[in-house]
Parts: sequence; structure tokens; C-alpha cells
Amino acid sequence: MEKKAILVDIKRCVGCQSCEQACQRVHGFPEQHQAHLSDTALTVVEQHGEKFVRRMCLHCEDPACASACLVGALKKSSFGPVTYDAKKCMGCRYCMIACPQAVPKYEWSKLAPYVKKCDMCAERQAAGEKPACVEACPLDASTVGNREDILKEAWSRVRSDSSYVPRVYGVEEFGGTSVFYISDVAFEELGFVKPALGSQPLPTLSAAALGETPTVVLVGGSMLAALYWITQRRRDVALAESHTAQPKQTEKIDEGRS
Amino acid sequence: MAAKLPKLTLWRAITAIIFMVGAYAAYLRFFIGWQASTNLTDAQPWGLWVGFGTLCGVGLSAGGFGLAGAVYLLGMERYRPILRASILLSFLGYSTVCTGMLYELGLPWRIWHPLIYWNGHSVLFDVSMCVMAYTSVLALEFSPSLIEKLPWKAARDFYLHWHHKVLIALVLAGVLLSSMHQSFLGGLFLIAKGKVYPLWYSPYLTTMFYLSAIPAGIAMLIVALYLCVRSLNVRIEYSILEELSRVMGIMLGVYGIFRAIDLWRNHALQYLFTRRIETAYFWLEIMLLVIIPVALLSQSKIRNTPRALYWTCATVVMGFMANRLNVSITAIDATTGANYSPKWPELALTLAVVTAAAVAFRLAVIHLDILPKNEPKSARWIMNSAEPAEA
Repeated sequence: MEKKAILVDIKRCVGCQSCEQACQRVHGFPEQHQAHLSDTALTVVEQHGEKFVRRMCLHCEDPACASACLVGALKKSSFGPVTYDAKKCMGCRYCMIACPQAVPKYEWSKLAPYVKKCDMCAERQAAGEKPACVEACPLDASTVGNREDILKEAWSRVRSDSSYVPRVYGVEEFGGTSVFYISDVAFEELGFVKPALGSQPLPTLSAAALGETPTVVLVGGSMLAALYWITQRRRDVALAESHTAQPKQTEKIDEGRS
Repeated sequence: MAAKLPKLTLWRAITAIIFMVGAYAAYLRFFIGWQASTNLTDAQPWGLWVGFGTLCGVGLSAGGFGLAGAVYLLGMERYRPILRASILLSFLGYSTVCTGMLYELGLPWRIWHPLIYWNGHSVLFDVSMCVMAYTSVLALEFSPSLIEKLPWKAARDFYLHWHHKVLIALVLAGVLLSSMHQSFLGGLFLIAKGKVYPLWYSPYLTTMFYLSAIPAGIAMLIVALYLCVRSLNVRIEYSILEELSRVMGIMLGVYGIFRAIDLWRNHALQYLFTRRIETAYFWLEIMLLVIIPVALLSQSKIRNTPRALYWTCATVVMGFMANRLNVSITAIDATTGANYSPKWPELALTLAVVTAAAVAFRLAVIHLDILPKNEPKSARWIMNSAEPAEA
């Protein structure tokens, strides 16, 4: 399947919350509006002044959560969504530390808690359907399609209408995402996170540290082995010298000491 | 018959209370839930348990690999008398971490998952593999102390013979493994760049964690040994501790210099005097971990007074804890606004596990040949100086 992406048009959104309800219906959560993302609200319509911003996982091209997850429960699928394999998860919550958008949420109220996040309805998409939130949107404020086409669509809307901010959020942010936003109000005013690294994906930071591992092991290992060899050699030499030089005298000295 | 029952002392009563409260806290965690037992939230998913239990637990256990490396690889035989104690301390530290992991993890029965599901891009994966491997190495390094107490001579000799043959390989692997995961613990926070307050974020977090772990491990070792000498019938050549403390002072100084350069290079100096709570926590950490101990350890009078050295090392241990908690809690809280402080069961469980390790350490020193034992009723400290021991 080709790479998919979602476009959220903040100018078109009127805050009807159909997307929230559709998402909750698909996941079997109670249908209720929540102010922020939670383990039972994987997409949420936030109000910023007059504007409504639908929050959800951005499905980064090089996701920090997937790079952080030690058992690989979080994965970037070939067609876009960052999915979660509950069978692998051990509940370490490192994905929550790693995500710059604080998207993964935890089921704190449960005794066997799992991580909850939007998976872009990967299963529905694989079956040829649209993500539930996009399908439910009555005003086309959310659109899904092939990533390239969606990007073209986003730029053409921005260019054809001068009221839009001339920017598509998600092209560069966090190294690119699979969810794009366009808006007629500056993104900074709508609570959008400014990436710590600009357009560089966060996983490059830990990759730099991990990349040194083989060198450290090889160089460190051989240095330690060499140190041990020198230590042993010096001990052997000292022992041999003390035996060959004046064995009787040393014995006497030892006796005298004790 | 009453003579066979253990005497009830104040310390035993306190220990029993700690265990009972800890057991109740464990009940809350495993049967009632997270919200009853922790103040963790989506904004601060790692609280006291990861910050103290894992980061401090592993860091303060760094004495073992330092001493093993010094004795076996560098041939510093004068440290051999305290080698077993330091390996035991590390082993118990890592066991504590592994126990703590059971309540840190949401799904603790899957603690073995990293063995079959690998993600080589994850710093935490490397940490978990290293910690698993190094805990096994420590268990093997420590095993002779137990095996030599076996009543069957043939089995004992067979084991000790083979142990001796593989020992150097074990030590070498141990030094490498612990060097790696001590630094990777800092590396965990590299990926959370935007979330870690600038006073603690650095591309050299790995180096910083490594440089601080070794002196903190030594400090913890000195604290434990001092307490052993005070409360148990064992003997330690004091000059060893004095020498270790000098090395520790130098290491802390080096760490302080690196830290200062690092703050300057990360353009974080401007945050040193801003009016924020983080600034206070930062200075508390730096005072306890670097400034006070380095100033004190530069005085030979302090180094040569057991009680003064003990309190200096306790300061280092506290400063080290402040550092790890700052990186994992203060620095994250500052940016996410989580405003986390631990709930009592978090503290109670942590205290119970640490107490269990202390009790195990004590029992091992009493019943196994960990430290040279005193002749009954002789002087407790054998001093190299003329000054009588205060202990």
C-alpha cells in the first residue's frame, strides 16, 4: 500500500466533535468529549480562542516513541501509521518520555495497563476504509489520501487562499509526519509544539550515542585486556626475579618480618 | 527456649515496621492500582521508582566494577580485602533494581520480553540487556563466597577451580557491561530533548552519568563499610578507605569541571541564577555532589577521620541521588508542568526494598567470609595514623 497521510484543515473545522465520537465508537470507549488526549480519547478537539484544533498522534516519519520502545511494540508501518502491539509491551512507559507531543497515554486506572494512542485506524485502512475520524468529518476538515497527493492538496489550499498561513505543519517538524495541518491562524498561537531539533528527527540523538557502542566495546575491551596482560606480566616478572635472584635471603627477610 | 528467639531491638522493630508498611504498599500497587499507590501521570510517567529505584540503584552499585577492575585488571592488590564487600554491595544493588522493576513496569510478568523482542535503536533495550547480563556476572563473581560454605568438598573444589579459570573474563565483561549501561542510563534522556530542562540536558549526558557513577559507587561503598565496622565485628585497614576517598575526590573534581564546561557549551549558564525552583534543586545537587565533598576531601584531616569521611561520603551519595532525581523528575516536571511528588506507597516500597538489601548485606557479612573478622573484643579500627578511632 502507498503511504497514507491525513490533512487537518483548521480553517474548516467548526468543532462539532464528530471525529472524537467516531474514534471512541471504533475503539469501544465511552462517547464523551474530553479536554485533552487521554487513554479513552485518542483524538480531541481543543478550542483556542475562536479556533478548533483536532489533536491526535502525528505519526512521525521517524518516530521517537518507536525508536525508544525497547521491545519494538511501537512501529512505523510502511503505509504511514505508527502502530502499537499490545502483546509485546511491558509497560515501561519510555515511549511517553520520548514523544515530544506527549501523545501516548497510559491506562493508569487498570491493573494491567496498556499504552493508548491513535493508530490512524491502520486495520481499517488496510481493509481499504478511511480512518474513522476522517470518515465522520462532515465538513472535510480532515482528509485522508496518499501522502504525496495530500501534501499537494495542502499546498494548493494554502496557495489559493491568502487567509491561510503559508505553511504546512508536519512537512519538516520532527523530520516530517503523516498528519499535516494547515491553518489561518499562526501555529504558535494554537499550542503547536516547536520541535527541539527543527526538522531533524529526535531518534538521531540516541542513534549518535548508540552508534559508539561497537567502538567502545572493541577499544575498551582490548584496552582492558592489555591492562590485565601488563599487570600479569609485571607480577610474573617480579615473582621470577624474587625466586632467581636471592631466594634464600628473601625467605629470611620474610621470616624476620613475621 | 526463649534464648533462641531473636532479641527485639529498636532497629529490628523499625525494620519490621518498614517491611510491613512496604507489604501494604505492594498490596496497593498490585491489587488496588496505580492511582492508589502512585502520583504518576501521563505528563510524568517515570517518578520516584524509575528515578530512584533504577537510576540511583544502578549508579550507587558502581563500586563493584570499579574495585573488581582495579584489583584484577590493574593489579591493585591493596584493595583486595574490600573486594568481596564491594561486589556483594553491587550485586545487592542490582538485585534491588530488578525487584524494583517488578513494580515499576506496568506488566511486570513480561520483564523477560527484551530477551526475545529486540529493538537495537532503543537506548533502554541496551540498558536492559546490560543490566541483565551484568547482574548475572555479579552473581557469578559473588558465588564463591556462598559455594565455599558448602559442606561437600569435591563439589566445592570443582566449582572454585572452574570459577578461577573464567574469573578474569567475567571481570572484563563486567567492567565493559557496567561502563556501557551506566552511561546509557543518561542516554535514556537524550531523545527527550525538548522535555529536559536545559540545566540538565546535554548531548554528553552519557559521559556525565558515567563520570558521576564511579565516585558515587565508591562513596556508597565507604558508607557501607563504615557502617559494617561500626555495627559488626569486622576489621578494615583504614588506609584503604582513605586512599579510595582521595581517588573519589579527584573523580568528583573532574566531574565538576566537565559539568561546568558542558553547561557553558550548551549555553545553559543563563539558567544558573534564574528565579525558579529548578535553580534551587540544581544548586542543592551541585553543592552536595561536587562543591562540599571536593572541599572536604582535599583536607587530609577529613580523609583521615573515619566519622568525617563517612559523612562526606553520605553527602556524595545524597548529591548523586539529587542529580538522578533532578534529571528524571525535576527536569521533566519543569517543561511538562506535571508537578509530581511521590505518594507515600512509592516511598514505602522503595524504602522496603532498600532495607531488604541492607539486611541481606548485614546477614552476608555476618555469616559469610566477606570482610576479615575481628578477634573478639579487639580495637575496631586498625589505624595507620596514631589518632584513635572515633567509631
